[in-house]
Amino acid sequence: MSTNSSTLPDMASHVLLDDPQEWAAFGRLRRPAGSGTQDAVAGQAVHGALAEVSPDAVWESNVVLEGMHCAACALTIEDALRSVPGVEQVDVSAATHRARVVWRSSRVLPSQWMAAVQKAGYRALPAMDSHARAQRQRENRRALWRWLVAGFCMMQVMMYAWPAYVAQPGDLTGEMEQLLRWASWVLTLPVVFFACGPFFTSALRDIRLRRVSMDLPVALGMAITFVVSTAGTFDPAGIFGREVYFDSLTMFVFFLLTGRWLELRLRDRTAGALEAVMNRLPDSVERRGADGVFARVVTRRLAVGDTIRVLPGEAFPADGCITSGSTQSDEALLTGESTPVARPLGSQVTAGSYNLQAPVEVRVEGVGGQTRFAQILALMESASLQKPRLAQLADRIARPFLLAVLLAAGLAVAWWWPSDPGHALMVGVAVLIVTCPCALSLATPVAMLTAAGTLARHGVLVRNLQGLEALASVDTLVFDKTGTLTRDGMAVQAVRCAPGLTRDDALALAATLARQSMHPASRAIVAAASEASARWNAVDLREDAGLGLTAEIHDARGTVPPRMLRLGSARHAGVAAQNGGEALQVVLSEQGSDGQFAELARFDMIEDVRSEAADVVRALQQAGVAVQILSGDRLGAVQRVAAQAGISRAKGECSPQDKLAALQDLQAQGRQVAMVGDGLNDGPVLAGANVSFAFGRSVPLAQARADFVVLGGSLSLVPQTVLLARRTLRVVRQNLGWAVGYNALCVPLALVGWMPAWLAGLGMALSSLLVVLNAARLSRALHGVEVSALNLPEQAKATVRMTSASPSSLDPA
Amino acid sequence: MDILYLLIPLSVILVLMILAGLWWAIYQGQFESVEQEGERIFRND
Repeated sequence: MSTNSSTLPDMASHVLLDDPQEWAAFGRLRRPAGSGTQDAVAGQAVHGALAEVSPDAVWESNVVLEGMHCAACALTIEDALRSVPGVEQVDVSAATHRARVVWRSSRVLPSQWMAAVQKAGYRALPAMDSHARAQRQRENRRALWRWLVAGFCMMQVMMYAWPAYVAQPGDLTGEMEQLLRWASWVLTLPVVFFACGPFFTSALRDIRLRRVSMDLPVALGMAITFVVSTAGTFDPAGIFGREVYFDSLTMFVFFLLTGRWLELRLRDRTAGALEAVMNRLPDSVERRGADGVFARVVTRRLAVGDTIRVLPGEAFPADGCITSGSTQSDEALLTGESTPVARPLGSQVTAGSYNLQAPVEVRVEGVGGQTRFAQILALMESASLQKPRLAQLADRIARPFLLAVLLAAGLAVAWWWPSDPGHALMVGVAVLIVTCPCALSLATPVAMLTAAGTLARHGVLVRNLQGLEALASVDTLVFDKTGTLTRDGMAVQAVRCAPGLTRDDALALAATLARQSMHPASRAIVAAASEASARWNAVDLREDAGLGLTAEIHDARGTVPPRMLRLGSARHAGVAAQNGGEALQVVLSEQGSDGQFAELARFDMIEDVRSEAADVVRALQQAGVAVQILSGDRLGAVQRVAAQAGISRAKGECSPQDKLAALQDLQAQGRQVAMVGDGLNDGPVLAGANVSFAFGRSVPLAQARADFVVLGGSLSLVPQTVLLARRTLRVVRQNLGWAVGYNALCVPLALVGWMPAWLAGLGMALSSLLVVLNAARLSRALHGVEVSALNLPEQAKATVRMTSASPSSLDPA
Repeated sequence: MDILYLLIPLSVILVLMILAGLWWAIYQGQFESVEQEGERIFRND
């Protein structure tokens, strides 16, 4: 472990992190040592794990990295961390400046691998704590300040340069010209030594560690321009001639910083959906103490069993049960649906959803990693750290490309040197500055992360970024379950009554019996009956499983003598079966005094197909995707659902093996297949498909094994996701094309000396900015889907602002 | 014309002063939450 004296204060704060109690704050236990399961179980009960932290366990920690400027830095940090013994796995994301480190607590401690990051010239901060956020703010302020210094000095240097450009020979006296040059030089000093600081420090670091990164050529370019211009100012007769380039220098520094600044802002806004979500849990919450008084405590101190008070506009900090009051909550994050959900006394609330209406007291039932919110975060976070295939390719190209550029710049200087050393150096500068492998390495991850952020806002979690590429080329979509197309249960399609009985009367009578039963058909009849009828009472009710109900009905008004009624299949009701087409039939009959059954009404039941199913299937077909059903249900039921949803190819009574075989059949025909299932017990089938969706409403998220998890129940998200994936791939291709084309065009131009330094700076800043801007187009709301997740009703928003602005007295204990 | 010999150094000083003002504004957090600074007037405390 390095004990470099200059890093001592940081080391001290890192050593604090060696306390196992702190590890859960920025990571989670992957698996206790010994148990060999490779699968990380997201949202594992961190608190349970804390109770028995074994000395030899595998932890997965998330850190925020500071000082990263481009994709090449990500590789360096990965190398540095991998070289630490005991660190098992490292993923560094250049787009989010985050790293995931998997390490073994018996061999290494967090302070040790953080020291390795520091030795490589960066800083690692544990993610998800306020320290990291404060750090980010400081970094943001400094970036803004650097940008403003560069901008202001640039404007003034332009003013001083202007007379030299427009003056006729003899107009400008020697002293005046010299004064203007000195003034330019003075104002260039803060630009070079302060605003360019980050370029120089990271270039120096690269030289010390003998490697190449994006900042090295840029910093070289700046240094050369400054030296040439300074020599021109103070020694006009020297070897570099009397030309000065202060205006070019300040201008391209300003352009570069503008590009970086905008890039930073855009990245925070678009790909930063993750952070927006993470900041969603409040820092502090009002907890009832032993004396019954509410006091503010930090959220991390909450434990199961505490009672907390949540005000309207605040987010619920934990899963729990409302013990006092009733309210509405916005669960858009968890389901993607914007309609507020009523949460009366005694109902469950989930962490991360907003309380919209009234203050409530909540008994905490789940905190930290146990909450569904934490599971969603874990999924999003692991996806944001993945490197898609195309990004890996770009990263591999970046390094040799940079070396080639340095070489080319050197050759260009050597070629032009004999004629004019000053000009030769400026040609070299233009080459160094104009190259932009950043655009190349940002092209893929920025687009995919933006798309993943957009999907997350609509309630679709991307578990696997590579899935976006696969989804874009999908031409067949298979529903693995009829259950994904239907709501749970059935619906009454038609009522045919015996003469003398109205539809409402028939339903009221049937509902009197059905109310006592949990059978889907009974539930459908109860739902169809307009309101609970007070007239009839069911007495002595009997249910024959799978057949139907029998009961004696009493009239509350006493005008009709008790009646014996039966509700169920035709056989149970004692009447002749009728051919009712595809629908399932339920019959209501009355037993007369002679023991014979007389039919009162016949209900045609259908599976309650989601109202949007037909539209979804049509939208998919319009997008050129063939839709099929492979289901394990009875053939008749499958065909009924398929007919209603407009799907022509449906196969029922499939075993999982049949499904897999059918899937492989399709793939053998060269089709790219997407599978839609519930993600739980159809794992092998989902895994066999090119890309898979799971509807995660009832599924523990950590176990869902699909590329995409749809949190809400809305089917229409499926075609929207397909379309977004296609748009994403289009953007990735545009970005890569632009980055390659830009470099192929500009580097030769600079080499032959046709590219002034200021234009080179503008070109480079624009090229990476264009890539990020192009990707930002993907953050537009999905067409036809309500956007909701981060949009609160105005009133709630105002409350949020007020509460966040008020000084909160934190109880540190 | 001679006044320029004074005005040019003055302009340098002026730029540095404006930059100092910007430095104050940034590190006061004036640019972090533009809305919040404006709303301060509505607050009771």
